[in-house]
Amino acid sequence: MKTLIVIREKDYGWLSPFFPGVNPLVMPVCNKPFIEFLIDFSILAGSSAIRIISDGPLNEVERYCEDGSRWGVDVSYASILGNDSIETVIEKNRKYCADQRLLIISGYLFIRYENRQELRHCFAMASGGTLAENERGSIVLAGTPEITGQLPAATPFSLVEFDSIDNYFRLSAEILKEYPSPYVLPGYCNEPDCHIGRNVVIGKGAEIRKPVIIGNNVQIMKGAVVGPSAVVGSNVIIDRESTVSRSILLDNTYIGEQLEVVDRIAAGNILVDPRSGVSIAMEDPHLLSSLPGSAHIGSGLFRYLFHAIVALLLILLLSLPYLMLVPLLKIQGKWKTGSFTFHDIRQGKNLRFVMPSIADEGGIGSLAKALSLDRFPMLFRALAGTIAVIGSFPVEVSHRLEAGYAATGYRPAVFSYAEAEDWPVNAEDSAIVEQFYAAHGSPVRDMVLTIKAFLNRIHSKVQ
Amino acid sequence: MDTFITMSFPSEISYARLASNAASMVAEIFSRQVGIWEKRQEFCHAFELSVAEAFSNSVRNAANPETDGQIIICFSSDQNELMVSVRDTNPAFDPDIPAPDILSYPDRGYGLLLIRQLMDQVLYSRENDMNLLSMIKKAG
Amino acid sequence: MTVEEKKCHDLTIVSINGSLEASSVPGFMKSSPALTDSQSIVIDLAGVDFLDSSGLGCLVTIARKKREQGGDVRLACLNEKLRRVFEVTQAFRLFDIYDDAESAATTAANK
Repeated sequence: MKTLIVIREKDYGWLSPFFPGVNPLVMPVCNKPFIEFLIDFSILAGSSAIRIISDGPLNEVERYCEDGSRWGVDVSYASILGNDSIETVIEKNRKYCADQRLLIISGYLFIRYENRQELRHCFAMASGGTLAENERGSIVLAGTPEITGQLPAATPFSLVEFDSIDNYFRLSAEILKEYPSPYVLPGYCNEPDCHIGRNVVIGKGAEIRKPVIIGNNVQIMKGAVVGPSAVVGSNVIIDRESTVSRSILLDNTYIGEQLEVVDRIAAGNILVDPRSGVSIAMEDPHLLSSLPGSAHIGSGLFRYLFHAIVALLLILLLSLPYLMLVPLLKIQGKWKTGSFTFHDIRQGKNLRFVMPSIADEGGIGSLAKALSLDRFPMLFRALAGTIAVIGSFPVEVSHRLEAGYAATGYRPAVFSYAEAEDWPVNAEDSAIVEQFYAAHGSPVRDMVLTIKAFLNRIHSKVQ
Repeated sequence: MDTFITMSFPSEISYARLASNAASMVAEIFSRQVGIWEKRQEFCHAFELSVAEAFSNSVRNAANPETDGQIIICFSSDQNELMVSVRDTNPAFDPDIPAPDILSYPDRGYGLLLIRQLMDQVLYSRENDMNLLSMIKKAG
Repeated sequence: MTVEEKKCHDLTIVSINGSLEASSVPGFMKSSPALTDSQSIVIDLAGVDFLDSSGLGCLVTIARKKREQGGDVRLACLNEKLRRVFEVTQAFRLFDIYDDAESAATTAANK
């Protein structure tokens, strides 16, 4: 059997305004992208090939599902126009649909089922026709039954009302509490109602109350309470003594200190009250609590002194290896000097840096890289006070520079907080760590983290 | 980053396909070296198309099509990313043109949009009276 | 690049083989009068292994001109690479895209 999943932009029009950056087709429901629920259903119904069809963009769906090999089915994609009838959709996919029993799932539908085995059986025996429908869409089967037999009295699946943010919110809670097993939620599940992803750090005194699902790369700080009925996405920080219950935190969200998030959906800087459908966008791109002013970080001379001292110590420490190793590397041609232009938002101008790169092979290259000799020239910049010793990865001047950086304590530096915390360095993850420390930095903490970043680089080379 | 391949082409549109094929093959070699499997075709196509676009942009922007300008394409790689830069001697251009509105049937202007969407990072700079368009894509 | 024409249900199917890009577009536009007149056609892209922005621009232009004159153009058989170009540029919003040239022609003729 083959499946066509036909979802039009107008089908998910109710969801798009709430989370502008997320394609509703990959919108997480209990940390699992929406489309995967339909793919699961199609596979359970007996499909070996699935074609996802839309009049809207599909690239995010494609990035997630690829060719379907992870589920062991063929997943392909096709575009239609917004007002194409279902007959036209089938015409447009004539070659794909030819001589096969066909399942057509049309609409932004959520399908509820409890018994996975029954589905296969039911679809093999059902004769063609509409198996389920509501005003939002339908499930239609075409072709002759594969086997004959007695159909179960009731269809083993049904359509869930899924057309408002409140429905979405309630559905998540319901899946988490009552139906986790048929849907197979992501994460490690050692005990019922508790799914935990990779790289989840739970601070002292933090409480996790079931049912709960937590994604990957999540930090739950001291004294925080998560759950009951909390859906926490990936790359999330829940800061000290905050409470998150009966709520959904989507990916890349930072919940500030001592906040109470109850009955809410939070996504980045957007906070939605599902009951009323009111959504508020916070000014900071990530933080839900206001950032302490820069005075807290230790502004002016005081902060500069600390950073200069650390820079000086590192210069003293590294100058001998620098003088010994770099000439050798230069002879071997492994030491390349390049220049990068970074933008310093606070000063509102572009700074040009010499940023050497070390070809990372052989003993000396690795040793030099472990000792962060490539950062050595930048330390002088830190000593002079143009950049910090620790802060954010300098953002290269390009059109990718987002205006949001200005609000979040972006501080170009020799080392980054992400390196200190040994977080996977990719833009979104590291931005969150950097912002966390920008909010909680103190000169002493900066010093400790600089040393940590420095040691981490050594450590990663030694391994 | 270690520059490891440099190619120079006459600034004529008939060489665009040669340049983009070369880019695709370099990307293919790189993706084998670093072990990109599932997404290899997509990775190679991104380079094939981006270089084709950058190249035809360069040819189109040439101030004087009669002079035999050269378009220089360099590839350099890191452990996990491949960078291609396209250099020409044309007048400076604005790399930040807005994406065209497809519903008004524009017949051009898709080039930089494609490059920006297919690549992870696009940098434009002007050095020594040359345009330098650098495009970076990460493996995996 | 080579261009072939065939008739199917009174509709011209133009099949392209090769790559449709900056250097081949001018030749392609001249290759067949069916591309510029007001009659509806189907362009079969099954043999196209590479399409760049100039190639896309030329398809968009053909569609615009035909639609201004009451005709239409349908596309058939886009491979992965072509689909990606249509996806990124959102050109999928402009075209009726079929996975089979014959059914594109049949349905166009019945319309």
